[in-house]
Amino acid sequence: MLSEKAVVEINQIKSMYHDAQSSLLPALYVVQREHGWLSPDAVEAVGDLLNVPKAAVKGVSTFYSMFRHKPMGRHLIQLCTNVACMIMGAERLVDILKSRYGLEPNNTTSDGRFSLVIMECIGACGTAPAMLVDTDFHDNLTEENIVEILEKYK
Amino acid sequence: MITVTINGKKIALEKPVTILKAAEIAGIKIPTLCHHDMLEPYGGCRLCLVEIEKMPRLQTACTQYVTDGMVVWTETEKVVEARKGVLEFLLINHPLDCPYCDKAGECDLQDLVVKYGPATGRFAEGKRTHPESYDDPIIVRNMERCILCARCVRMCDKVQGASAISITNRSSKSFVEPFSGGEYNCEYCGNCLTVCPVGAIMSRLHKHAYRPWLIEKEVDTVCSFCGVGCSLTLQVRGNSIVRAVPKPGKGLNKGLLCNRGRFGYDYVGSTNRLDSPLIKKDGKLDRATWSEAFAYIANRLKKIKETYGSNSIAGIASGRCTNEDNYVFQKFMRVVLGTNNIDSVAGFAYAPAQKFFEGIFGQGVTANPMHGIANSDGIFVIGGDPTSVNPVLGLQVRAAHQKGVPVITSGYMQGLKMFSSKSLIPDTFTETTLLASLLTGLMKERPFCGLNSAFEKIIRDIQPVEIKEAEEICGITSKDISYAIDTLSVMTNPSIIIGRDILQRAEGHTNLLLLAALIYLLNGRIYLLSELPNEQGLVDMGCLPDMLPGGRPVTVDIFRKRYEEFFGVEIPSRSGLSLMEMIDAAHANKIKAMYVMGEDVVFNVPNTKYVKDALSKLDLLVVQDIFMTETANLADVVLPSLAWAEKEGSYTNLERRMQMLGKAVDGKGMDDWQAIAEISRMLGFDMDYKDSGDIISEMARVSPLHKDISYKDMADGECIWPYKGEPLRHGMSIEGIEMPDVKFPMIRPERKKIYIGMDNPLFHAESLSRNSAALHSIAPEPYVRINKALAHELSIANGDYVTITTNSGSIELSAQIDSDLPANIVLIPNNFDGKGVFAVMSWRMNPVIKSPAMDFTEAVIKKIKGAEVLT
Repeated sequence: MLSEKAVVEINQIKSMYHDAQSSLLPALYVVQREHGWLSPDAVEAVGDLLNVPKAAVKGVSTFYSMFRHKPMGRHLIQLCTNVACMIMGAERLVDILKSRYGLEPNNTTSDGRFSLVIMECIGACGTAPAMLVDTDFHDNLTEENIVEILEKYK
Repeated sequence: MITVTINGKKIALEKPVTILKAAEIAGIKIPTLCHHDMLEPYGGCRLCLVEIEKMPRLQTACTQYVTDGMVVWTETEKVVEARKGVLEFLLINHPLDCPYCDKAGECDLQDLVVKYGPATGRFAEGKRTHPESYDDPIIVRNMERCILCARCVRMCDKVQGASAISITNRSSKSFVEPFSGGEYNCEYCGNCLTVCPVGAIMSRLHKHAYRPWLIEKEVDTVCSFCGVGCSLTLQVRGNSIVRAVPKPGKGLNKGLLCNRGRFGYDYVGSTNRLDSPLIKKDGKLDRATWSEAFAYIANRLKKIKETYGSNSIAGIASGRCTNEDNYVFQKFMRVVLGTNNIDSVAGFAYAPAQKFFEGIFGQGVTANPMHGIANSDGIFVIGGDPTSVNPVLGLQVRAAHQKGVPVITSGYMQGLKMFSSKSLIPDTFTETTLLASLLTGLMKERPFCGLNSAFEKIIRDIQPVEIKEAEEICGITSKDISYAIDTLSVMTNPSIIIGRDILQRAEGHTNLLLLAALIYLLNGRIYLLSELPNEQGLVDMGCLPDMLPGGRPVTVDIFRKRYEEFFGVEIPSRSGLSLMEMIDAAHANKIKAMYVMGEDVVFNVPNTKYVKDALSKLDLLVVQDIFMTETANLADVVLPSLAWAEKEGSYTNLERRMQMLGKAVDGKGMDDWQAIAEISRMLGFDMDYKDSGDIISEMARVSPLHKDISYKDMADGECIWPYKGEPLRHGMSIEGIEMPDVKFPMIRPERKKIYIGMDNPLFHAESLSRNSAALHSIAPEPYVRINKALAHELSIANGDYVTITTNSGSIELSAQIDSDLPANIVLIPNNFDGKGVFAVMSWRMNPVIKSPAMDFTEAVIKKIKGAEVLT
């Protein structure tokens, strides 16, 4: 299930903490980076590797919004629609993503290019609206520049 | 001394407790939802809020400890208002479907809302919805009703140790879920059902089949599955059991149950139950009246006894029958028929192991209270997984490990995988070498105590096995063996838990000696795992070829004379045949008649074909049972008997505690003892028992061990070892015990061959669980457990069908791949019709302990088809 590289990395993380439970979040990150999401098999594999019950791993991974539990597109758009972004027109940006790419929140485009997740504040209220594309940060979004930015991601 | 004042009432306390506990002591009830006596304080539901003087805010009584001079008020206006608020919040999402919910009538939330209100809520938005989950065969999950008190999750994690469920997602989308999101695939202990305060987790077995207030009676009894003897309560309506529930804090299980005890009771109401006596006519079993059947049996027995002598008759008793049944059975065999040929499957491992240890350490050495396990300073487990053989005892091991007690396990044990400090899994059939190396290592670390110099001499004479040698033979690293020795060597009074696997070996007696030596060196307390609810009762009631009631050897003149005088008859002075010897003797036409009470001999004795052949050669086979078993099929007469919930009587558990059964429903059969008494009367020996109480009082006069015991003592929980009688004082000398000659190296299994072993699944119990629809729904299919590497080599995938062929036969099973199992053994359970391990397992007699050695049966495995092809 997990690549040899991931197993090595997780074992190394495990050795850094006092107990296995503490290494759970970093270990899940390793797997998500590799697979793009956390499949039930991957969650189970992490549990086996860390000797943490798999139900507990599931509980932790579903608690945190940064973990994905279904396959994602090649690029993940995390767009904030919280108060500041909403006032600055974030909801119109959601409409644009829908009309331009056929992309709805919590869904993936049919070509597997983009996935969209609506976020609750990413700490850029002063330069709202803002989004993350994969790990890149983009703010001061407008109806025009959002398409320009996204076109860089193929 | 701490003094607190709750609602104006002064309470003096020895040590600090929570306000909740202090109030309980004072007789003041504080409402709770997330709190449960079996769980640690949590403080999640905020319902137990109380006002404490000089504290600015309300505090949760379940987590706040009292201090000296504290003044607490539990029902002020402020408190009541807060509780009302908490309940209003809970009712935002909790549906008001009480008329339809099975929990109504025993729902904590319903009761609290009735008491504190509010009558209406202010939340105008809709309730969250979540479809009720019927994905699981046993548990229905209704997450709309869940109030997220996390009692179930805490029970599963901290008490049961199964960690099968967790709270997933967050905020209003939080739900309790098993890993799969649907099916639980857990240990199915159902302890989450016990603690759920609302109708969120319910059993499917009685869904919409009853209302709590329609239960007509509750009967306190003891579970009928294994040797732990958990207390449970049967709730009855009409003449059927509605459900089995534990009572919090009651019995030695203290409110916990396992899957078998909680869900397996349905065999009592099975449609397969026998309802009439049967007599074989022209090769077919036909219905007959009771008197016809009794007359038939009495006449045939009489003739056989006259023609071939008493010792041509043999009897097999059962660990599922009560002490009363078994006592009357051995009396019938000895006094009426005049033979000591009495045995049971307890003679395979439990009885010989106990006899061996008692011979060295004294009678009662295995009678240790179960809660002692969690309180000991170390645990060594060998020969069987306690969490599947005796699940509630297994929980003691898990609890100990969670407290930090070192646990060393030897052998393949899935249920203790996460709960052992060191898990030693020796190569197939090499435990003897491992035990010897542990002993050799420990002798260097621990001095002898000098109490039993004769035994110390024997221990010294055991040939040492160095760690290096053991590493090579057992396939365990010397580091691990050294770790185990170091850990064991500092234990002062460890619990040594022993399962039957270690005894049913060619080297079974050597293993016993090595274990006795370890126990002597470590000052260990012995716990023998027991698969049957009354296995100890078989021993104590004298259902052994060499023991009279009370564990008195029949070969010792004074004990035999005392027994003979009591009944005014003479009995043989020599020991009778053991169960395996009976089978052999039947094969050789030396045993002509066999009386089987409550045991499925064909199914529960290895090498089915051989056993069937032996029983077919008998002139007379009488079977008393509740089901038409494979053995009953071969019988000349079958008598339907009563199931556990239909009779009165007592069981003796593995800690030698005698506990009473309660009669919950009426059955169509007859008490085993009563049927025997009727036959006995026809043979000219009157047994006048009005009820089972009469039997116990006679037994208390016959057995020196059980002197003066009564049902009242049992009901009061006072029937624990050493009762009030006289235990046999022959400990600390080793005369008369046959000591094996330990020589290394032993016969070693070949790594290239594949051997078969017996699996003890958690969800089944011998042949009994075959008639429990509930247990079958959890684990419906017979299987063989195969090591991952071996499966890979044979290109077998999980779920593939394979044939297992040995020189005794062949069976088809689905494969379960397992990475912890040694590579050259496959494990098969003995719980499924025609597909049990005993159908293909052969055995040899262990000459010392007279039990069947079941190791070294070689097998050939072939894949027949993939899982996807079938069904």
